[in-house]
Amino acid sequence: MFKRKWSTSALAMTMAASLALVGCGGSEETSSNTKEKAAPKSDEPVTITFWDENAGPERTPLWEEVIKQFEEKNPNIDVEYVGIPNKSAKSKYDAAIAADDLPDVGSVQTTWLPEFSIREALLPLDEYFEKSDINGKINPSAIEFNKKITQDNKLYGIPYAQNLDTIWIRTDWFEEAGVEEPDTFDEFFTAIEKMTDKANNRYGYTIRGGAGGSFQLQRLMFAYSGLDYFNEDGKPNINAPEHVEFVEKYLSYYEDYTPKSDITNGYKEMIAGFDTGVVAMVHHNVGSYGEHKKSLPEGSFKTIPLPKTADGKYVAEGGNAVNVAVFKSAENPDAAWKFVEFINSAEAQSTWNESTGQIPTNSDVLSDEWVQNAQHIKVAFEVYENPETKLYEPPFYLPDYRSILDSIVDPGIQSVMSGKMTTQEFLDEWAKAIEDSKAKYDETFKK
Amino acid sequence: MFTKNKKMDRILTLYLPLFMMLSFTLFPIYWTINTALKPEGDIVKRPLQYLPANPTVENFVYSWTNIGFATFFKNSLIVGISTVIVVLICSTLSGYALARYQFKGKRSFLLMLLCTQFIPRSMMIIPLFIIFKNLGLISSPLALIITYTAIEIPFTTILMSGFISNVPKELEEAAMIDGCTKLQSLRHVVFPLLLPGIVATGVFTFIYTWNEFLIALMLTNQQSKFTLPVGLSSMLGEFNVNYGALAAGSVIALIPAVILFAYAQKHLVNGMGGAVKG
Repeated sequence: MFKRKWSTSALAMTMAASLALVGCGGSEETSSNTKEKAAPKSDEPVTITFWDENAGPERTPLWEEVIKQFEEKNPNIDVEYVGIPNKSAKSKYDAAIAADDLPDVGSVQTTWLPEFSIREALLPLDEYFEKSDINGKINPSAIEFNKKITQDNKLYGIPYAQNLDTIWIRTDWFEEAGVEEPDTFDEFFTAIEKMTDKANNRYGYTIRGGAGGSFQLQRLMFAYSGLDYFNEDGKPNINAPEHVEFVEKYLSYYEDYTPKSDITNGYKEMIAGFDTGVVAMVHHNVGSYGEHKKSLPEGSFKTIPLPKTADGKYVAEGGNAVNVAVFKSAENPDAAWKFVEFINSAEAQSTWNESTGQIPTNSDVLSDEWVQNAQHIKVAFEVYENPETKLYEPPFYLPDYRSILDSIVDPGIQSVMSGKMTTQEFLDEWAKAIEDSKAKYDETFKK
Repeated sequence: MFTKNKKMDRILTLYLPLFMMLSFTLFPIYWTINTALKPEGDIVKRPLQYLPANPTVENFVYSWTNIGFATFFKNSLIVGISTVIVVLICSTLSGYALARYQFKGKRSFLLMLLCTQFIPRSMMIIPLFIIFKNLGLISSPLALIITYTAIEIPFTTILMSGFISNVPKELEEAAMIDGCTKLQSLRHVVFPLLLPGIVATGVFTFIYTWNEFLIALMLTNQQSKFTLPVGLSSMLGEFNVNYGALAAGSVIALIPAVILFAYAQKHLVNGMGGAVKG
């Protein structure tokens, strides 16, 4: 009898204990939440959370450095860093917006700004920006671009780093073969042919046939044609004859002058091909400088702009920047703005961009010595500062812009490469998807 | 002559296929360890090094101290062990009820347990997020423990009820004739026989929580509360991948799972056998 009682009570105790445990954890967390919610006065300590949308072993310590500098200058503001893996960042933001549990400040890609602003997650920063010291110093075309792409033409994100698509080339191989760096698309195609030496397992170029191939192809297509994204009738120029001609030729180089594995190439595979000495040229952006520097000897590689159009102009895709945004739910927007302002100060931008190999947007940084000595950054400036350079504007504001690229264009490139689809069919399908999406969007917002 | 042929047969039909399968499974693990032991410059260097030319443990030190793997590891352990304990208690009890008692709606109850397994995880993210936000549990290990427990219980209950119905009812009856109460017979007779099943269930649950990424990422908004898979994945930046640290991190993450399997292997095989017979 006694024994029976003992085991029953033991069981009851375990259950009670586990229930109590659940209770405790809950109340503890709630109390800390209420503490944060109390409205802070100007000099009272405040905590702001910051989400980094592209955490990594190189960037995370850098952000921590920037945050440290900021906290030294603003002793009452405590910044809590959360690094989110790049691949899952968008879905993490999506869930957070849906549940209305957002950070105060976040790093967001330009392509997300229209969607996040329509979902009313972001705080317009126009007023803050106008009154700020950084007004006039941040690249005006990037600021204008960010305003243009949102539904209400307000400024929701301040670009703190820009990027530019370029072609990385092996200068030592080019010299050895006596081939000139390509300046036009004709020269580019000739260089691919000349640099290919299959017997030595060397290829002239590598095509991104896997994830993210859509970005590469789109940027090359428009660099070739110099067209706008939409024609005068509002129809996408995707399947314009110039583009069909270009894509046909470009993808026909697969296997003849580029590695067979290109059909599944993502970013990592493509860069590895260049860094391990299999391909002579790779199209990426200035951001991969750090990776090349790790594997290739100094002086054996450099970056060149994408080839010019037939009439000699550079073309770049607008909105190729990362921004800091303040979220509407921020309890202390003034403190959040202070952090945004600090990230965009010449000091912080210089530290950050020098180490990540990206292009600063603050004009005060341009005179820094490291910018003058960095070949890839100088190339980017050359392109962005050239008055002839054309910036075309992809319709980032279409809610399914990205999913069209991921689910129609990426597999489409593979189908053309493997001969299952013709270039014309592929580009028609892509153009139709964009056209339908735009029609839906225009109807909803009566633009 | 005959024995020689037989030996040959055995090599061709047994050892060779086994060897091929083993090298196929083990190669990625070997390569991870190989990468983890190389200094950064050697990792992508051609020609490939099949054994590290300059072996180093710097990657391990780097991921453990600089990237915070020590914290991620601790968080994963807390979540994993707590989930296993709660899941084992609940699923043993409910599994017993399902195996031993007849009650109205038992079949539909079983069916419902199965149905819960058909809901895609990614669909549950936003509702889960909202629930835990209202409970004030975002970034708390409790949110993960509760979610994982809820996800695992239906499956482990079915598993446990299979194990329990394998233990002859007569043994319990005999114990009760000898004076045991229901709980005593459970503790002294059923439990020891059930051990392989409990170990198997525990290991399944632990491995699931140890590897789960999506929910852990979504329900955690604090760097210091990340679990191992989330920490590992934040090593893959858009432009920078630190392969050495990533490989070292993977090896660290692999260790508990390997130890657990090595220890539980015997039970696991017994347990699986039991379940199939049931």
